[in-house]
Amino acid sequence: MSKEKKIVIVSSDNEKFTVDRKVAEKSILIKNMLEDLLSNEDHNGDNDDDNELLRDAAAVDNNDLDVIEIPTPNVRSTVLKLIIEWCEHYKDISFPDENQDEDSKKTPPIDEWDKNFLNVDQEMLYEIILAANYLNIRPLLYSGCKMVAEMIRGKSPEEIRKTFNIVNDFSPEEEAAIRRENEWAEDR
Amino acid sequence: MAEKLPKSDDLKATWSFVEPGLQLILGSDSVATVTPKMYMNVYTAIYNYCINKSRTPTQDSSYGSGSNSTTNASLVGGEIYLKLQQYLIEYIQQLEKKPEESFLQFYVRRWVRFTIGAGYLNNVFDYMNRYWVKKERSNGRRDIYDVNTLCLLTWRDFMFRPNLEILLEEILTQVELQRLHKIELNMEISFAIKSFVSLGFDINDLKKQNLSVYITDFEKAYLDATLKFYTEESDEFLETNGVVEYMKKVDTRLAEENSRANIILIEHTKRPLADVLNNALIERHVEVMYEEFNNLLDQKQTEDIYRMYSLLQRVPPTLEPLLIKFEAYVKQQGLKAVAELKQSQAAAESMGAASKKYQALLPKLYIKTLLQVYERFNEVVYMAFGNNPLFVKSLDNACRDYINNNSIAMPGIDNNGPTVFKGNSKTPELLARYGDTLLKKKAKDSDATADMSADELMNIFKFIADKDAFETHYRRLLARRLINGNMVSEEEEESIIQKLKEFNSLEYTTKMSNMFADMKASKDLRYWFKEQEESDNTDLNIFVLSQTAWPFPQFKQPFTLPDELLGTKEQFEKLYSEKHSGRRLKWLWNLCRGEMKANLARPGKPPFILTVNLFQMSILLPFNKRETYSFEELHEITNLTPEHLESCITPLVKYKLLIQSPEGSENTGKSSTKFTVVKEYKSKKMKVNFMQGVKLDQKHDHDDAQKEIEDDRRSFLQACIVRIMKARKVLKHSALINEVVQQSHARFQPSVGDIKKAIDLLIEKEYLNRVDGDSYEYLA
Repeated sequence: MSKEKKIVIVSSDNEKFTVDRKVAEKSILIKNMLEDLLSNEDHNGDNDDDNELLRDAAAVDNNDLDVIEIPTPNVRSTVLKLIIEWCEHYKDISFPDENQDEDSKKTPPIDEWDKNFLNVDQEMLYEIILAANYLNIRPLLYSGCKMVAEMIRGKSPEEIRKTFNIVNDFSPEEEAAIRRENEWAEDR
Repeated sequence: MAEKLPKSDDLKATWSFVEPGLQLILGSDSVATVTPKMYMNVYTAIYNYCINKSRTPTQDSSYGSGSNSTTNASLVGGEIYLKLQQYLIEYIQQLEKKPEESFLQFYVRRWVRFTIGAGYLNNVFDYMNRYWVKKERSNGRRDIYDVNTLCLLTWRDFMFRPNLEILLEEILTQVELQRLHKIELNMEISFAIKSFVSLGFDINDLKKQNLSVYITDFEKAYLDATLKFYTEESDEFLETNGVVEYMKKVDTRLAEENSRANIILIEHTKRPLADVLNNALIERHVEVMYEEFNNLLDQKQTEDIYRMYSLLQRVPPTLEPLLIKFEAYVKQQGLKAVAELKQSQAAAESMGAASKKYQALLPKLYIKTLLQVYERFNEVVYMAFGNNPLFVKSLDNACRDYINNNSIAMPGIDNNGPTVFKGNSKTPELLARYGDTLLKKKAKDSDATADMSADELMNIFKFIADKDAFETHYRRLLARRLINGNMVSEEEEESIIQKLKEFNSLEYTTKMSNMFADMKASKDLRYWFKEQEESDNTDLNIFVLSQTAWPFPQFKQPFTLPDELLGTKEQFEKLYSEKHSGRRLKWLWNLCRGEMKANLARPGKPPFILTVNLFQMSILLPFNKRETYSFEELHEITNLTPEHLESCITPLVKYKLLIQSPEGSENTGKSSTKFTVVKEYKSKKMKVNFMQGVKLDQKHDHDDAQKEIEDDRRSFLQACIVRIMKARKVLKHSALINEVVQQSHARFQPSVGDIKKAIDLLIEKEYLNRVDGDSYEYLA
């Protein structure tokens, strides 16, 4: 067995974070990439016989490296730091089948830890959501979206506009039309 | 590769940025490898493009401006998807075979690399897969696929389809070369064939395996080639090498094909491949194998028979004719063995050998002959047919046939002709006599029975059709052994009866068990009688036997018991009827025998002991009073019929205890002939047995047995019919016959004629009534 490789995640502003493979693999993007690029090693187990041809053809010599640097050009170091913190927290928890059809998946209410964790300013929350989507960290993405949903729940349009700092660009006629159309959904 | 990521809204720039990465991922000929950085850059570029494009329209469109609401949430990817698709087509089309490699080698080399690349690509385009492709498919678009599938489909349409013919041809050529042992099995074919599997898709559920491409484009051609190859090879091989060698060849070939299939084919093909092989190698040649079967049996080639069996077993219907042939062969061997025995018997008799001696030997020789055939083929069934129940049954059928029905059991038949002999098989009787030989005390210490056993008896017993006949004969012989006290061992006797009981039924051995019970009761009775009896110089050894169990007919001839014995007899009768009132004793004088002391020895020597039957005793006792009697006088004293008297006197004269005058056997029975007892008897032995010389009516005995069997059968059939009719009330003729046959099966095989006779008799006795022409009704 070869020794555990060092995984280094590099933020867009070139800050380096060294993490365990287990932690990095909370990102399905990184998990897939590591599997692809280190495929020779990983697949030794299951089909050893599928042989020389495969290995030669793959022509990937990343195995020789002890350190794997993974650039994440879309994530700032401040955000990446938080993402990694989240991944560290969940490193020993395996989430339900990632491939499961999400429509049929009823996600539970937000975890208390997540709630605290995501108790950040709006801008940061938004960046975390984007990064979770980019890195394909589904549970974090869901928690983030739910936080946003919580912020909307029970608020009037005016309050929502205030919360998210949105300028009302509807003309009074347009607004009336929308109200008419959505009358059925009003909770009275 | 550009270091800086392209502008996210520029498709052209984005694509130029990712393209070199794709080239590497799919496998360029350059040695450069895919690095994490490149991987992440390509992913990020695609991501940025999709994100940016997805965001843009929301800013442009405004509600109510006419664009529909889905635009708001539209996910972007279509342009990238098309670019990718186009790229894949071009990539595949530019792939070129190296001059030194075959198409197959090229195909496999590229395929293996391509499928790995397709896996990478799928992950690199994960963002597009995750949102855009998923949405398109859930909107019902069936012509959009995840990237991995897109890669494979493009391969299928632009590499696989256009080259299918040459690919298939090269695969099949390789396989043929392997079959001819010109090349080793190699993995290339396996990869090429597995590509057929990977290229089949279920358009509605991409995760489901779909073998359509494999089955239509490959499997059929493979099976056809296989059929053709083995059809030709087997015809030629059989022609030059014969069946035995051929079967070995088929064994090898099947094993080869099996291991080849394990390596290069998938599970789905195993069944059809087996069918093709079975057809080409076995079914097409069954006739020649059948023809060889008897030869193999003749030569006792068990291994080859096993090989034939295991081949035919692959196609179960082909076993049927083999079963028929096997049964016929065993039967014929059985008949042949018996016929040979019969011939050697006849030859020995014509050579002047004492026929009596041969008569005595016959049961053993006969049963041994039957057994040898059975044992030989029982081993064949075990060794060559793995005790397959079908063959066990064939063997049983054949054995039942030749054991019950052969030239010794039914002297009227010859081996080939139909049965002419009407009557019952002699096998049950001969088997009973085999048992008698085994269980009777031998005159001399001979080892004539050393190779006989109860197991052998049972082996033949199970094939006996007329179990009732065996029982009757066996019981009669058993009765003699018991009465004459010449059993070898009581345990052995009882163990055989136990076996018969287990094999047939409790009822089957009831009478025999009763006989043993009588023997035991008689022993107790004797002790009891001795205690009661006032001392007497006769030593009475009496048996009281129940009439129903024992096969002894009543003694009906005239006879006067000598006065010397009369007292004992009357005393016994008196005491017995006091003890068991209501029981009637009948005396079987003909079975009585006794020992007499004769003071005819030279002075100073102990007296002779003469063993005689009761009649001889009654003849000899008067000589205590006088030295000479005439035949007429003896007749008056004993009241025996002249014939009986004569047969009893003969041995006395022959062994010179009585002197006859005038001499000559023709004078023995004349009423005036005189008999005088010798003064001094000359014999080296102290004990002399005069019973052996008395002519026993053997023929009579045999007829009795036959009559007993027939009587039993008649009453069994009647009882059986009554039992059935009582339960059913009304029954059709044919149904009744069937039931009766079934119920009699364990005892004997009744003929329809016998059953009809029994029915008629019951109608006469008003147990039954005919109704509706072909039915019977039970009359309570």
